[in-house]
Amino acid sequence: MAWIVKPSAQQQMERRDQPYLTDALKTEIEKTYIPRYATRRAALLPTLHAIQHEHNWIPYQAMEEAAEFLGLTAAEVVDTASFYEEFHLHPKGRHLIQICQSISCELCGHESILEKLIDKLGIEPGETTADGKFTLETIECLGSCGTAPAVMVQENLRENVTWEKLETYLDSLE
Amino acid sequence: MALEQPILCKRIPTPPWGDINDRKTVTFDEYVCTGGYEALKKAKDITQADLVEQIKKSQLRGRGGAGFSAGLKWSFLPPPDGEPRYLAVNADESEPGTFKDRLIVDFDPHMMLEGIAICCHACNLDTAYIYIRGEYHRQAKVLEQAIAEAYANNIFGQKSILGQVNGRVLNCYVHRGAGAYICGEETGLLESLEGKRGWPRIKPPFPAVSGLFGRPTVINNVETLAMLPFIVERGDAWFRSIGRASTLGENVPGSFGPKLFGVSGHVNRPGVYEEELGIAMGELIDKYAGGMRNGKKFKSAIPGGVAMGFLGPDEYQADLDFDIGRKHNVLGLGTAGVIVMDEDTDIVAMTRNIVRFFARESCGQCTPCREGSGWAYQMLCRIEQGEGTFNDLDILDEVARSMGAMPGTTICGLADGTNWAVKTAIEKFRPEFESRCKSSLVQVNVSVGGSATV
Ligand SMILES: Cc1cc2nc3c(=O)[nH]c(=O)nc-3n(C[C@H](O)[C@H](O)[C@H](O)COP(=O)(O)O)c2cc1C
Ligand code: SF4
Ligand code: FES
Repeated sequence: MAWIVKPSAQQQMERRDQPYLTDALKTEIEKTYIPRYATRRAALLPTLHAIQHEHNWIPYQAMEEAAEFLGLTAAEVVDTASFYEEFHLHPKGRHLIQICQSISCELCGHESILEKLIDKLGIEPGETTADGKFTLETIECLGSCGTAPAVMVQENLRENVTWEKLETYLDSLE
Repeated sequence: MALEQPILCKRIPTPPWGDINDRKTVTFDEYVCTGGYEALKKAKDITQADLVEQIKKSQLRGRGGAGFSAGLKWSFLPPPDGEPRYLAVNADESEPGTFKDRLIVDFDPHMMLEGIAICCHACNLDTAYIYIRGEYHRQAKVLEQAIAEAYANNIFGQKSILGQVNGRVLNCYVHRGAGAYICGEETGLLESLEGKRGWPRIKPPFPAVSGLFGRPTVINNVETLAMLPFIVERGDAWFRSIGRASTLGENVPGSFGPKLFGVSGHVNRPGVYEEELGIAMGELIDKYAGGMRNGKKFKSAIPGGVAMGFLGPDEYQADLDFDIGRKHNVLGLGTAGVIVMDEDTDIVAMTRNIVRFFARESCGQCTPCREGSGWAYQMLCRIEQGEGTFNDLDILDEVARSMGAMPGTTICGLADGTNWAVKTAIEKFRPEFESRCKSSLVQVNVSVGGSATV
């Protein structure tokens, strides 16, 4: 629900000296993405993807850096970033487990898998395990309706999922 | 009628012609060996006006959901004025039950790239952006690879065989989304491409006149573009020999050409299959998808992505073409992602599932969509748990019918999805909803849309 505004008045921004948007990333974006578009702002999604790829999430400081880099205000960057569910503005576990809950997956029994996941990890959807290993999310259609139920683990799509196969896979992760 | 040879699936092994286990990504060389990029060479020597005319005559209709004539859309473009013009390829495919564009991108990306080049040439567009949903990680990589091959072989770039297009170098880029269904709506997509929230724009102006970066822009679906090489190569008469004219009247546009149908849910062999437009759903399920799972009886299906609404138990043989909306009281053919439900399916739960999707994906600009879908979801949860009343059913129906681009209360068509799912479910399965409801002891007068009187 991209339109829900979160209270931000008391929010503390964590800072670190080292930039998140490193010079190497900037050079890469400047070279690969900026020339593709008529405005610098249009390179914002690729920039946010690059930051998330590097750090596994997008801290506020990184959004400020992206704003400066692209000639935008920080508010403009937050405005865009907060709209997209796949941009994680809070730290998440090393392995993000996203289980599809849309219609074809529900028809093919995603519910029992979700229940077992909740049981095994001891967390509800939206939460991260205490050791920071797993974050569990329910997500809408992954485009694998023909091979439902579908679960995405980090960027890795698991299709025709059974609990046995999924559990074995999760146990094999570091 | 039935397709004799696979067309879009020519290089993608698909039953009954091939085995899905033999699928692999077709490389540039393999594509060329099997006649690929011949159509582009042919198109190069056809004038742009003739190309647009040919596509118009073929009566190719958009494969992304709305079914708008591709040639007609192109003809709305103003004449070139020396400034940039764009193609936005819609590969955002996020509608539950839809997984057909993924098949093309995964296994035969050059078919789409050739279509892109043809479209850019025909419409004088110098830059194409392929907007692909964020969750398609693997597919984005496949595309990057295919585009690199196409540049290396002078399809795009400085040395493109098309020369300059719109007075510029022809370029093609991948642009990744980040998990927002609404970016599949064409103007939401443009906003997202510009680095903003994917908030659909109020139309007019239409994108053909003022689209990406305020410039003329064509937006087409992956499958629509993948169809182009075949039409250019084999002619518009060939295209019209597949599928059929509308049976609703002479002036109603027909349903021509082959089509990818996704079949999911309670069938034995779910998957994407290719057939002529107009195939009966029952035939698609029995012949291609291996029939109903566990020999169960058919109860309902959604013809093309969850926005379309439900077909009833007696509509198993509904013809899958663009007439389906008017003939079977659903929104339309949509994405042709057929979701099949057997006799044990809880329709109330499925309606709840669909409405939750739309509530979650609403971009929040329009009140009927933002608030209405949230309310409808809560009411459906209550009815599902046996806590609803008959009165709830009527309010639910009224809330749903009040939202959408068709009632004219919202900017885009997302809210119509909630509308059609709810109203068709209640219309076609009312007893099932009623059996879950308690009769309300006290009648409370609530008027939706007015000030609350509760
Ligand atoms: C809420 C909403 C979501 C949409 N999602 C998609 C999508 O994921 N892919 C797509 O091709 N079209 C989608 N469409 C349809 C597009 O707006 C547009 O009609 C289509 O991309 C045009 O291409 P075509 O004429 O080739 O079908 C969506 C429309 C709406 C209202
Ligand atoms: S109808 Fe819904 S999704 Fe579409 S613009 Fe309005 S609020 Fe956004
Ligand atoms: S419904 Fe789960 S992948 Fe499409």
